[in-house]
Amino acid sequence: MLNDLRFAFRLLLKNPAFTAVAVVAIALGIGANTAVLSLVNALLIRPLPYRAPARIVLMLEHFRAQHLDAIPVSAPEFVDYQTNCRSFDEMAVFQPGTFNVSGGDRPERIFGAVGSAELFNVLGVAPIRGRVFEPPDCTAGHDDVLIISERLWKRRFNADPQIIGSKIVANGRGFTIVGVMPASFEFPIPLFGIQGAQFGERADVWQPLAFTAQELKIRYSRGYAIVARLAQGVSAKQAQAELDTVTAAMRRNYPDNYPKDDSFGITAFPLNQVVLGPMKPLLLILLAAVFLVLLIACANLTTMMLARAASREREMGIRVALGAGRWRLLRQVLVESIFLSLCGGIAGVLLGIWGLDLLKRIGTQTVPRLSEVNLDWHVLIATFVIAVGTGIVFGLVPGLVSGDPNLTETLKEGGRGLSSGPRRNHLRQALVIAEVALALVLLTSAGLLIKSFVQLQNVDAGFNPQNVLTMEISLPALTYSDNATRARFYNEAQKRIASIPGIKKAGFTNILPMSGTNSDSSFNIEGRMSDDKNPSPDEEFRQVSPGFFEAMEISLLRGRPFSESDNADAPPVTIINAALAKRYWPNEDAIGKRINVGASAAKEKWATIIGIVGNVRHRGLDYDPLPEYYMPITQTPNSQAVLVVRSSQDAASLISAIRTALREIDPAQPIAHVRTLEQVVADSVAPRRLSIWLLGLFAAIALSLASIGIYGVMSFLVVQRTHELGVRMALGAQRRDILRLVVGHAAKLILTGTLIGLAFAFATTHLLAAMLYHVSPHDLTTFAFVTVVLGAIALVASYIPTSRVIRTDPMLALAHTT
Amino acid sequence: MIRLHNIERSYPLGRGQIFYVLRDIDLDIATGDFVSVMGPSGAGKSTLLHILGMHDHGWTGEYFFDEAAVHHLKSKERASLRNEQVGFVFQQYHLLDDLTVYENLDIPLSYRHYSKSERAALVADALDRFQIVGKKDLYPRQLSGGQQQLVGVARAIIASPKLLLADEPTGNLHSSQGEEIMELFRKLNEEGVTIVQVTHSEKNASYGKRIVQLRDGWIV
Ligand SMILES: Nc1ncnc2c1ncn2[C@@H]1O[C@H](COP(=O)(O)OP(=O)(O)OP(=O)(O)O)[C@@H](O)[C@H]1O
Ligand SMILES: [Mg+2]
Repeated sequence: MLNDLRFAFRLLLKNPAFTAVAVVAIALGIGANTAVLSLVNALLIRPLPYRAPARIVLMLEHFRAQHLDAIPVSAPEFVDYQTNCRSFDEMAVFQPGTFNVSGGDRPERIFGAVGSAELFNVLGVAPIRGRVFEPPDCTAGHDDVLIISERLWKRRFNADPQIIGSKIVANGRGFTIVGVMPASFEFPIPLFGIQGAQFGERADVWQPLAFTAQELKIRYSRGYAIVARLAQGVSAKQAQAELDTVTAAMRRNYPDNYPKDDSFGITAFPLNQVVLGPMKPLLLILLAAVFLVLLIACANLTTMMLARAASREREMGIRVALGAGRWRLLRQVLVESIFLSLCGGIAGVLLGIWGLDLLKRIGTQTVPRLSEVNLDWHVLIATFVIAVGTGIVFGLVPGLVSGDPNLTETLKEGGRGLSSGPRRNHLRQALVIAEVALALVLLTSAGLLIKSFVQLQNVDAGFNPQNVLTMEISLPALTYSDNATRARFYNEAQKRIASIPGIKKAGFTNILPMSGTNSDSSFNIEGRMSDDKNPSPDEEFRQVSPGFFEAMEISLLRGRPFSESDNADAPPVTIINAALAKRYWPNEDAIGKRINVGASAAKEKWATIIGIVGNVRHRGLDYDPLPEYYMPITQTPNSQAVLVVRSSQDAASLISAIRTALREIDPAQPIAHVRTLEQVVADSVAPRRLSIWLLGLFAAIALSLASIGIYGVMSFLVVQRTHELGVRMALGAQRRDILRLVVGHAAKLILTGTLIGLAFAFATTHLLAAMLYHVSPHDLTTFAFVTVVLGAIALVASYIPTSRVIRTDPMLALAHTT
Repeated sequence: MIRLHNIERSYPLGRGQIFYVLRDIDLDIATGDFVSVMGPSGAGKSTLLHILGMHDHGWTGEYFFDEAAVHHLKSKERASLRNEQVGFVFQQYHLLDDLTVYENLDIPLSYRHYSKSERAALVADALDRFQIVGKKDLYPRQLSGGQQQLVGVARAIIASPKLLLADEPTGNLHSSQGEEIMELFRKLNEEGVTIVQVTHSEKNASYGKRIVQLRDGWIV
């Protein structure tokens, strides 16, 4: 065995070109696999960073009649669930939140969550320093403690060992730090995807949740999500059944708040499923793609090894004659191929690490949980197994052929060593066909995705993202406790910012399109009764300032925009979008009609519809616009807002001027998440873009490997046919005759491979359907285009070796074998 | 028919040195001539024949074929001139292993402007004339050496070339088989085909009308 290894090593050293091409091909195939396996391992297989995560559920309510499928719960509802359910060891409630941390050189906005005392017990993660929340923390007035992440501890506090007990000011209030959570702890995870909630970034701060007395009375104000740990021996199904009885009781006890039928309820989603579910189809498709790439690499290596076997026929023949058995020769070739494969595997792992690094740099901000992806032992072991398997796969056939005494015998007597048997040529041709077919499948998939992306880029978002800067502001409840102070801040800020030279228009909104945030609210229409059969409408709801529509360039279709005079003293007004007008006033003019917001119709004032604006694709370019209605921020000022600034040229240069303007109003007020609107739009399709990059990359690798394979086989066949071609040329064949002969032969193989690949692609591209946008999985132009591209490249790959032969004189070609 | 003037052929030896295979060759061959080229091994006989047959492009000098100045022709024009005028017989026969006798005979015709029916007629004629009709569906390896060379000659003249070049056509054959081929050459020559053959045998050379001696690339 050691001898075989030494011989293999010497042989590979002797053919550096062969070795280099082989190692690169294997490295590409295995590197792609390593990278995607790392993704799969981190995002699908590796457990969530909690104790026994399989038993944790995320609970969200639904009001099906109003198309609300997964919404948060209210405080009294949570108390109902907590007191009445026996299926759970523990149940906690939480809400994402932002913390404006002041002190130090610059105020900073940090993302985090507010959670009840049970939260850390449900998740089962212990702090690395200090303690978690205890019930006394969760009472009004005592909730001024914070737990911070290891990340924040290191970044902002220089990993201060005295951190426990130190004070910081957040949202204008003093807090004591009581605990530090480990770096692996992550909660909430950006993927929870709760309607109306904001999970854009990683959480670094946790505050205990103390319900106010007022809050515990309002059943319809829903802003909390529940996490709970299933009790031992209780199945998810049993727990769900119990929850159903609790919601049934709630419907009976509070008929004003719920419909009588079961369109209201709560669902316990396994946390694993919530977090992992959305990633699964994409990851499986990527896994299939890299498997195809590896198959192509194997086909390539097989043809290369076969060509080598042909050139070593004499050697093998002599070995057989000297008594070497079939197994000995097979072993010799297998040792060589596995050794080669392991070399390629090592290069592949390096390539994979580099690729992952690149992937993270591109996608961490926008693709959830990507930052957790790394290469661990599981992936390394899997890669090792793949490498050995690959070596066996591509060494087996050449090894068996080398040990075939019948074939070698014919060679011994003939002595014309290069003309291997027709059987082996069939195999080579089959491999070319397979490579073309596999590459075509990948190319088609990539082509469909790319076409989807191009379609998306041409979609009208409903606003103009050019030269617009956005940034987030949140006004702390302590310093901005009432509507008047908040309204004053927004008015003042808008005035100052609009006067900065170069800025054309500025406005505020509580919810920015395509930023991943959303909110909805139910409303009543004057003169239309709502009852159980016709629940009050519930649509997307935003609060915006005067100037917002102009800054976004959202078109005003009818009526007027909000103005400064629409203030708290003026009559309430609202603006709706075209989709909402069409849904509720399909045949009438909506302007002048009146609606009110909030469940208790009687208390709210009626707001008059003063304008209709164009639709906005709020959830992303690939979602159809939904009905929306807008209220002026000056009448109901929210504490969270996004500033939108349109400038005459590149907006980025204006950031510092804006910062200064805001600091003049409130020096403690930070701005966060400064992005151009174009960036926001691009980020909204980032996961899609990433999948295109990956699949496109794999398709490109497949294409180049297949081209190399075709080139290799055609070179071999041409060399093998040099004598024949020389005779033909001596007998009068022109260059084009030879070209037609050889390339025609290649074309037949390529055509066969293309047809098989097309059939295979046709049968499988529907798996991509969910990732396509306005492109049929069987899109004719894409299929035609990739076929032509692949065919052309394959033909070129087979033309190059042929052209080399036809440029030689027949005299040399004839001398080749004589 | 052919006039060579100052033909030279050389190969680089490396380190800037050059090895001359043919030097200052002047040769006239009239229509209807039958020339035997002789000389020791390595003298450049095959090289000369390949130049005459326009299989080789790496020479210098002047080569007139009838009125055409071959040295000024582009490779395409040379190829078409060759296809019209020249037939070639090889020492190693160079029949294609995977094609039958019939198909081997058809190759030269397939590269010239013949219709399908013309091709069939010409192949049938050749099979007839060389009395190998019975062998037409056999593969080269199923024939004896002499029979293979018979097919080689038949293939060389099937497109009616005016010039037949033969590089040791009987080199691999028994003397009786060789005589048969030589008789065939004589007959072709009498029918008007100009022949240049390379041979090591005095006897074969005697079939020709004159002998050209090559030594170390020079005509002596
Ligand atoms: N491709 C080449 N590169 C270098 N030298 C070559 C090449 N082809 C032929 N020669 C040299 O040219 C010389 C003449 O070769 P050629 O084949 O014409 O000889 P020949 O007279 O036909 O000999 P023989 O009677 O053995 O067939 C030889 O010395 C040979 O080594
Ligand atoms: Mg010779």
